[in-house]
Amino acid sequence: MQNKLYPDDTHPIRTARIGAVCLIDVSSSGTVQFGDRGETNAKLRAIALQRQEDHTTAGDVFYESYRIFDRDLPELVDPEYADGQGVHIERVNADPFITVGYIHVTATGAASSLLCGNCMRVNSESRIMHIRQYPRPRPIPGAFC
Amino acid sequence: MIQFKVVNHALTVGQIEILGVSSASMFQIGDTDYVTLNSMFDTPPESVIVGPMAPLPLPGGGQEEGPANAE
Repeated sequence: MQNKLYPDDTHPIRTARIGAVCLIDVSSSGTVQFGDRGETNAKLRAIALQRQEDHTTAGDVFYESYRIFDRDLPELVDPEYADGQGVHIERVNADPFITVGYIHVTATGAASSLLCGNCMRVNSESRIMHIRQYPRPRPIPGAFC
Repeated sequence: MIQFKVVNHALTVGQIEILGVSSASMFQIGDTDYVTLNSMFDTPPESVIVGPMAPLPLPGGGQEEGPANAE
């Protein structure tokens, strides 16, 4: 018996079908998209700085002072792919829809992506330098000093 | 060459609850061809500086961490 869904009844793309979305917070440079997208290039660089000092006297902070922001990304070493012997993927969509009833998202971070649809390529990168700096606590004097 | 064949049949989900989608990450309902996600987060123990408040390094210093008087 021949399967009537395959290969006669196939679909080139699938469509996301969603009942409802509840999204509370999208942080800086985060994206929410309903629909298809070709390519995403999201990039985030941040210095998370905790200092017990006033902004007026703390001075400036420079990205160039930290090597994490110009460090090269790790490369994928795959000799078979380099020789043109990678994995050939063939996809067959027997059903034209991806159905989700309800999506609840509390928060999305910076340079993040919430996509309801198809995408061809996603390149995303985040670099965060975290520094905490506190003054030395003063010693507590003894009772009979 | 490896031939990888995928047949996508019906995909139906009732409800999705997400607390957070963090930085440079993604949540997608749909299909995609290529995904490359890189994340670097640098908070070594040396980044906790307890001592005299010194200015943060200027550009060109090439310091990996905070001021040189870290203890």
